[in-house]
Amino acid sequence: MNAPHPVLHPQTHLHKVALQSKEYKDNVNPFWCPGCGHHGVLTSLLRALSEVGVDPNFLVNISGIGCSSRLPYFVKSYKMHTLHGRAGPVATGAQLARPDLAIVVSGGDGDGFSIGGGHMPHLARKNVNVTYVLMDNHVYGLTKCQASPTSRREMKTVTTPYGGVEEPLDPVLYMLTYGASYVAQSYAANAKLTTRLIKEGMEHKGFAFINVLSHCPTFNEVDDAKSFKEASDEVTAEHDVTDLDAAMHVVNMATRAGRIPTGLLYKVERPTLDERMAELVQRVGGHADYDLKQIIDLSRP
Amino acid sequence: MTKHDLIIRIAGEGGEGIISAGDMITQACARAGLDVYTFKTFPAEIKGGYAMYQLRASSERLYNQGDSFDVLCAFNGEAYDLNHTRLQPGTVLVYDSPGGDFEPDIPEGVHAYPIPMTATAKDLKSPRAKNMVALGALSQLFDIPEASLREVIAAKFARKGDTVVQANLTAFAQGRALAAAQTKTDAYAVEHAKEKRDVVVMSGNHAIGLGALIAGLDFYSAYPITPATEIAQYVARHLPKRGGTLIQAEDEIASISQVVGASYAGKKAMTATSGPGLSLMSEMLGMAFMSETPCVVVDVQRGGPSTGLPTKHEQSDLFLAVHGSHGDAGRIVLAVESVQDCIGLTVQAFNLAEKYQVPVLLLSDGSLAFSTQTIPYPDPDSYQKVERKRWDGEGEYKRYAQTEDHISPMADPGTHGATHIATGLEHNELGMPNYTPANHEAMQAKRFGKLKDVVTDFPAAEIDGDGEAELGIIAWGSSIGVVREAVQRLRDEGRKVKGFYPKLLCPLPAGQFEAFGATCGRLLIPEVNYQGQLAHFVRAETSLRPESYTVCGGLPFTPGMIVRKVKEMLA
Ligand SMILES: Cc1ncc(C[n+]2csc(CCOP(=O)(O)OP(=O)(O)O)c2C)c(N)n1
Ligand code: SF4
Repeated sequence: MNAPHPVLHPQTHLHKVALQSKEYKDNVNPFWCPGCGHHGVLTSLLRALSEVGVDPNFLVNISGIGCSSRLPYFVKSYKMHTLHGRAGPVATGAQLARPDLAIVVSGGDGDGFSIGGGHMPHLARKNVNVTYVLMDNHVYGLTKCQASPTSRREMKTVTTPYGGVEEPLDPVLYMLTYGASYVAQSYAANAKLTTRLIKEGMEHKGFAFINVLSHCPTFNEVDDAKSFKEASDEVTAEHDVTDLDAAMHVVNMATRAGRIPTGLLYKVERPTLDERMAELVQRVGGHADYDLKQIIDLSRP
Repeated sequence: MTKHDLIIRIAGEGGEGIISAGDMITQACARAGLDVYTFKTFPAEIKGGYAMYQLRASSERLYNQGDSFDVLCAFNGEAYDLNHTRLQPGTVLVYDSPGGDFEPDIPEGVHAYPIPMTATAKDLKSPRAKNMVALGALSQLFDIPEASLREVIAAKFARKGDTVVQANLTAFAQGRALAAAQTKTDAYAVEHAKEKRDVVVMSGNHAIGLGALIAGLDFYSAYPITPATEIAQYVARHLPKRGGTLIQAEDEIASISQVVGASYAGKKAMTATSGPGLSLMSEMLGMAFMSETPCVVVDVQRGGPSTGLPTKHEQSDLFLAVHGSHGDAGRIVLAVESVQDCIGLTVQAFNLAEKYQVPVLLLSDGSLAFSTQTIPYPDPDSYQKVERKRWDGEGEYKRYAQTEDHISPMADPGTHGATHIATGLEHNELGMPNYTPANHEAMQAKRFGKLKDVVTDFPAAEIDGDGEAELGIIAWGSSIGVVREAVQRLRDEGRKVKGFYPKLLCPLPAGQFEAFGATCGRLLIPEVNYQGQLAHFVRAETSLRPESYTVCGGLPFTPGMIVRKVKEMLA
């Protein structure tokens, strides 16, 4: 099926409806533990979807594997529950195939930055037009308490019974470095900020990365909802979100002080991957009815 | 048996224009209406190293690269050293002398024509035209159509301007003159074609790209790997003209993931790789089977295991193609014989993927990847194209609905009332996770049930010969073309042999194998791998007990090898 290539400036939210956030909830109850931060992320996402007004028929939620990656089941939309670490490239394929769809990727810190870590730079630098919500609980939840790449070193887990031996990485610092065009951070208990950041991320044309610190009361005892809240400092109105150096500086200074910078850290507009593809097709005069014989003729002796 | 074909091997250092000289002869012969089948080996190194181009031309239909060359054109001493044991009495040696880097002792009975290739090119002040001098000499000696060659040379260098065209034509003419001055002692010549035919000359890799375009490819995700890269190269050049998208991914895991994402979004999607890449894709192939997402994956096999012999020929990924993924993960596996198949079976691969909503793996191999062959001009409208069954909008949408033929209608995102999940978790008809024994059994039965019809849906494997035979040869992939010729030669010698040429390898058409086996006294399966991979499946899935003939030296079989083996067996 060679559908004509979409318009040159495809926007993800062409298909709008007016629905309340609860109307975006699918009729499957979240399977998460009581008190899990992921509940809060889901609530914020549902609100953001309602505020954006995206048509669930043109929304695709895509996830990997983990507690967090179950999120798509609970949202009324098209959806894919893929493999551990592979939601990003699956979303890339879906987005390029159908640039008119709104695509939200969700998953955990292990999913995104351990097994899927090799895909992150490419989602960012290619500026794939999707919204990526990382539910960062600093631990592997689904496999029951192992160290993740964002775990604090001192944390004891099943694989680090005497405390860990590795330093954690900072997802937002990586995404800034990788060239993401929208980088933001929040924590699950702050529904207002999380909702706003997801909504703006969806409205952003390009790859939007939102790291949501999401507590896991079952397996992470060192980071709870309270500690995330207390350590958070929202960036001030003076912060220039178009200045990459300023964004990195904010993150570095906060880390040094043991704080968590929240809010919109960086946002810049540049062509998305699908736009560049559409432009390329236009440049070569491509269209679905291009006569194949013209191509075959090139192989005549 | 009269000899219709001529086999010329040009060998030397990579970068000396070996491949382009060979390509020009191929083009010229094809223009003159001859059938051409080429075989090349490249150095694994980026610069230098041994390069070889062998072309077989005939007025009759060709199915393989032949046994050995009639004519060796050696550009340097290394090329001579690597090939001189094959200079049997009656063969021809054309070599760079005087002025080359070696002076061979001409073996008894070999016709030798020294041509000062390097020196002449130097004298003409176009040292890079050494290959043109050689080309001229070969054209004179073996009656390769001069007018066609001149056209091909002019076309090849047209972009570089008239001066370059003229310099090359001069070197070519000089080569002809040098050869004309020698006394021809051999009787080899290219045959004249019976008729002009409307053909194209393509490599297996490019033909797979073309097949995909014909099938209606929308999305291709690439990751470079020898010997599959030229598929992406062809598609990258031409798919945008059709409004489609080719993207280079960060690795093969991403490639297959993007393909699955694009297919879920409703598009025809593919990727192509070689063994190492297919190994990386195996987890996502299982997801594609589980979530019933159509996709096409081409594996251009090379020598393994591990990094193995990247530029060499082998047929050793059958086990991986059939079983590579955890759990009971089904798929369809096809294997191409020829460049012609690379078009037709690629279209079929898409059709099967769409119809059965499964991953379809298409196996090609290292020699077919680069082998250029003349094939009849493919009419894109003559191929049947299948689209996936889509939901008709009636009633409640169930993505994984149990149906009579086990195929459940799909719904593209954007379809109202059909939101659903594609998932790798075991699920019920709605896609919701369900791990009960009854559900898992029912769903596995559904997914494998779809595949039952493939064997009858796909054209029956070709049987070469009728009646009873002393020996039947079962071949797959590009070995089929070799076996076709071996069977013919054995028959010409009065042996009762038959051939069986399956292209669908999974699900294995076991009944067809059995029926063929019942007509043969003994069975032989020649394969270019160590373990005898097809023979293994045949023993497992049929009552047949074939004998294996395996080689894995990085080169394809020759018809002579098969003929010798059969005679040995029937002695
Ligand atoms: C290839 C593969 N390896 C390992 C696993 C096991 N596994 C499932 S989820 C998971 C980690 C989950 O942690 P995270 O991604 O941080 O998400 P969370 O559960 O904490 O939300 C692992 C290792 C798997 N499913 N697939
Ligand atoms: S294990 Fe942790 S992350 Fe998983 S659902 Fe329970 S609280 Fe949430």
